[in-house]
Amino acid sequence: MGEKLLEVKNLKKYFHTPKGLLHAVDDVSFSIEQGKTLGLVGESGCGKSTTGRVILRLLEATDGDIYYKGQKIRDLNSNEMRNLRKEIQIIFQDPFSSLDPRMTVSEIIEEPIRLHKLITNKNERFERVLELMELVGLSERLINTYPHELDGGRRQRIGIARALSLNTKFIVCDEPVSALDVSIQAQILNLMKELQAQLGLTYIFITHDLSVVNHFSDDIAVMYLGKIIEKASAEELFNNPIHPYTKALLSAIPRPTIDKKVKKIILKGEITSPINPECNCRFANRCNFTEEICKMKEPSLEEVISNHFVRCHLFKG
Amino acid sequence: MNNKVLEIENLRIQYVTDDGTVEAVNGINICIDKGKTLGLVGETGAGKTTTALSILRLIPHPPGKVVSGFIKLEGLNIMDLSEKEMEKIRGGEVSMIFQDPMTALNPVICVGDQIAEAIHIHQNVTQEQARQKAKEMLEMVGIPGARMEEYPHQFSGGMKQRVIIAIALSCSPKLLIADEPTTALDVTIQAQVLELMKELKEKFQMSMLMITHDLGVVAEVCDEVAIMYAGRIVEQGTLIEIFTNTKHPYTQGLFHSIPNIDDRKAKLIPIKGLMSDPYNLPKGCSFCNRCNYAMTICETQKPEKIEISDTHFVACHLYKDNLDFQLRQ
Repeated sequence: MGEKLLEVKNLKKYFHTPKGLLHAVDDVSFSIEQGKTLGLVGESGCGKSTTGRVILRLLEATDGDIYYKGQKIRDLNSNEMRNLRKEIQIIFQDPFSSLDPRMTVSEIIEEPIRLHKLITNKNERFERVLELMELVGLSERLINTYPHELDGGRRQRIGIARALSLNTKFIVCDEPVSALDVSIQAQILNLMKELQAQLGLTYIFITHDLSVVNHFSDDIAVMYLGKIIEKASAEELFNNPIHPYTKALLSAIPRPTIDKKVKKIILKGEITSPINPECNCRFANRCNFTEEICKMKEPSLEEVISNHFVRCHLFKG
Repeated sequence: MNNKVLEIENLRIQYVTDDGTVEAVNGINICIDKGKTLGLVGETGAGKTTTALSILRLIPHPPGKVVSGFIKLEGLNIMDLSEKEMEKIRGGEVSMIFQDPMTALNPVICVGDQIAEAIHIHQNVTQEQARQKAKEMLEMVGIPGARMEEYPHQFSGGMKQRVIIAIALSCSPKLLIADEPTTALDVTIQAQVLELMKELKEKFQMSMLMITHDLGVVAEVCDEVAIMYAGRIVEQGTLIEIFTNTKHPYTQGLFHSIPNIDDRKAKLIPIKGLMSDPYNLPKGCSFCNRCNYAMTICETQKPEKIEISDTHFVACHLYKDNLDFQLRQ
């Protein structure tokens, strides 16, 4: 077994809204081993991006613990946190708004190195930028261009180069390919996989696209309204989904084949409001198998099969 | 018997800008029969939406300009119609569903009135009847009629898209143009909306032009497929032909770029490089700089349409002298 690089325990993030308390992330726990990828899947509003941001302390958690290499991240002061940011980075979804339009490619990639005083010599820093550009497949001639001159795929490569510019060990990838065309998406996914093998990176891969997450992750956690409702290895989750929501989610993916038709499970209704949720199963009103108990009591996350966790009253370990 | 709802022949559209001329659509031919669905597939900038807008004559002019070709709706050439006659067609004979349900509705008018508006304009009915019909439409797409008086912000994304579908179908159009109707929606909601569209298409015997970049969506709703690249249709055929007898290297590249959900070990084979600059398309085949099969002729000469079968054609030099050429797997 590999070493746990990151461990999240009972993480909670609530937002105050005029209508009440919004439970964006509600009691989420998981861990990731060094060099592995955890896929965090769910529909819009399920709290997957918030989870990613809370881990990096871009948002402060309401409650819970985050351990990085055994160190409690939430107890670090701003100086220590700043130091830690050399190792933990994020790649954002939208390569159009996450880059400063007034900085050139080299300035964008160089900025983190300069700010963290990793390389103080200007020439050496320039060398490092060239090295990073080569690593992510950006040609050298683009070094003085501005982001608006580049297409989405190249911009996302800049985002990756920037995330790698320090001594990065761990990256939260927040929907890194959803804004890109399929042919470009495949290029970026392959690049990220190669970099992971080459540099021993650990990823949290946040996405709504199940086919991408299956391709990319070792373990998958499915989120629904702030809770993890199923967690297993990617292979197990896709071969043997247990939670009714996971099953529906998997069947709903439009498959680009004409011979193997999967029977679709069409869910009723839509995701309910995460503001002041009731104490029942949050999926109960859309579930095709709802029983009395689902409306009364909240299910807990149980280990149904070895290393396969499900939050559902119908399945107990 | 002419069963064709839509015929597009040799359509060319340019955008003339200060930086140069973009040849957005370069001589495409499309034909949709009654009750059939054609999928128009391609990446950003392939010219899919421009093609769709031209059917409603909504290309912004300037900078856009239809240079040549004609578009016929049930045999009627819409290029000759006056603006007044066109208004009757838009939302009447031909409706369009736009990609983004968040911006397609008017935020200060309640949804019932927005549906009734389309009915009142196109059909000879009173306000009261129009509102009654609007209520029926709303119920048909699965929203309680009582929510007629609510405003768009009170609905979720999937519901807004249903309202838009209700507006589009309110006058029983002969042709429905759906421009990436589910791209902005979550998968479970996407499944609901696609199911609804399929159902309603059957019910109204409507023809549909489905614009999408998602081959999964194509496999689910389309009868025929046209693959578009840099303003041209590079391959066209029935759903089965395109999926089981893929001919064009670009079509194959698209299939190889999609992660296979049933085989997680399969490696993605991306299409190398980027789409050519639309201001400056290559002299020969637009795809030749990204193609793994490119030959010398591809750089200098535009490929002709080559018939594989009555319904299947491909624009690629590989098949010029050898119809049985097989792409490497």
